[in-house]
Amino acid sequence: MLDIKRLERRWLKYKIKSFLPHFIALFAVLSLLIGISLWFNTEKSADHNRTDTEKNIVSLTKVPLPTPISDHNKTVLEPSMEFVQTFQDQYVAPEPESKTPPAEVPVPAVNKPVRPVPVPPKTLHMPEYTPPPEAPAGLKAVPAVSRTVTNDKSLSINRNESKLDIEDLQRRFKETSNANLGLFIARYYYDHGDFNEAYNYALKTNNVNNRIDESWILFSKSLVKLGKTDQAKKTLQLYISQSNSDAARGLLDAIEKGNFK
Amino acid sequence: MEPSLFSKPRDLFLDIVNPRDYVQIDSVSHMYQSLKNSVQKPLKMILLYGRPGTGKSMLLHKLHHDLSKHQKVLMVSTPIVDEDDFLRVIAQNIFGHSPREVMTLNRFLEISSALSLRDTPIVLLDEAQLYSPSLMEKIRLISDARAIKFVITLHKTDKEDIIAKEHFQTRIWESIELQNASAEELKIYVQKKLLKANCFDVANMFNDKNMKLIAALTKGNYRETNKLLFSLFSLYCWYEENHPARIQYNAIRPKWIEMAAIHTGLIHA
Repeated sequence: MLDIKRLERRWLKYKIKSFLPHFIALFAVLSLLIGISLWFNTEKSADHNRTDTEKNIVSLTKVPLPTPISDHNKTVLEPSMEFVQTFQDQYVAPEPESKTPPAEVPVPAVNKPVRPVPVPPKTLHMPEYTPPPEAPAGLKAVPAVSRTVTNDKSLSINRNESKLDIEDLQRRFKETSNANLGLFIARYYYDHGDFNEAYNYALKTNNVNNRIDESWILFSKSLVKLGKTDQAKKTLQLYISQSNSDAARGLLDAIEKGNFK
Repeated sequence: MEPSLFSKPRDLFLDIVNPRDYVQIDSVSHMYQSLKNSVQKPLKMILLYGRPGTGKSMLLHKLHHDLSKHQKVLMVSTPIVDEDDFLRVIAQNIFGHSPREVMTLNRFLEISSALSLRDTPIVLLDEAQLYSPSLMEKIRLISDARAIKFVITLHKTDKEDIIAKEHFQTRIWESIELQNASAEELKIYVQKKLLKANCFDVANMFNDKNMKLIAALTKGNYRETNKLLFSLFSLYCWYEENHPARIQYNAIRPKWIEMAAIHTGLIHA
């Protein structure tokens, strides 16, 4: 006698068993396909990123790196801040005029405008202090020349770094392609935390003149700030190999040690 | 109570070898004709071999059924293992001689030559692989003496091939190999069997897909096919009685074929 219920249960078990390998195979194939597609996409995006980086590196390497600096191409920054600093430190004394009788002297030096003299600091001599001749009684009320007052009046440097000024500089840089201007703008943007612009202007400056240490350093620093540390390292290594710059080496060390982030 | 539509087909597939149930299939008919022709020739021994369930026994029974009308033919369906008994049974059925003394090979040959029949009598031995080697040797000697013409059937397995080689290979004048049926042949077999019994509706229920499934499950073995179909129609009988709405009368349900296969052990579930 047939036990149909039991037969049906056995048949169901048999069907599940017979279809199980197919399901497993199908699942395996689907998993494999998904895995391959994910891997392919990852590889593709990695390739894309790699290509971009390589393009940047190539564009960097296309910029001719510095050759031994010759006097012919020497870049001079003007005006010399050193000079200004030195000048500020100078004690401004009244010009000793020995020939002038003391009575005619009482014109205080403070009234004379101090003009920056375009003389290198080395040529400046610290004038010897000579006590001022005794002024006549009427003039004694006039206060003595104060150094600070003199300095305040004569060296009031107004740094107008407004947006308009920078725009003006950018326009001039565009017109003249002056590397110094470019470097100044790059430095300005770096100081103000706009590393993208700093990177751009440093790069432009390098294109104009690729022998400015500071420009390469600013460029690398901006790269680090933009999170492209590897690219910055590569750039610095490349630059060091060509220019043997100590500053660049120092920065590279700092980046590698993690001191500069 | 109305008789079940499927009870008659079920009984048709009972595993009984009956020459009246012989179904003519092209390949089998060809084999049978070859066998009949071989029997007419003055051959000493004819071997019919093939894998189990290829229809050897059925052919042998059919041959016996057809030849017995014209000449002396003895069909030994169940092997007689004892040599004395074997010779005695043959002597009694073929020569009508039943000696009281022990029947030896020499005595058997004497009886055979004394009678000198016009047509060489034929003995059909089914399942010959079950005979002992010494008895097989005697059978060979009898056939060599042209006292009796033997038609024997053998299962074709590796082991039985060795027996065939040792005892028959050099003496067999004709050998016929039977093959397992293809899906088409099985379809013809099933449908002819059903149509012969006037089960037209049930015969039309078998389509090619069903027969491919049956052939795959039974590997073209007629005996397994009979068992499977018997179980299948038993299932139909049950459903007809208990859940008639679940029966589709236009086609056999593959699920039920598989259930029948599970029941008969063709599928291990």
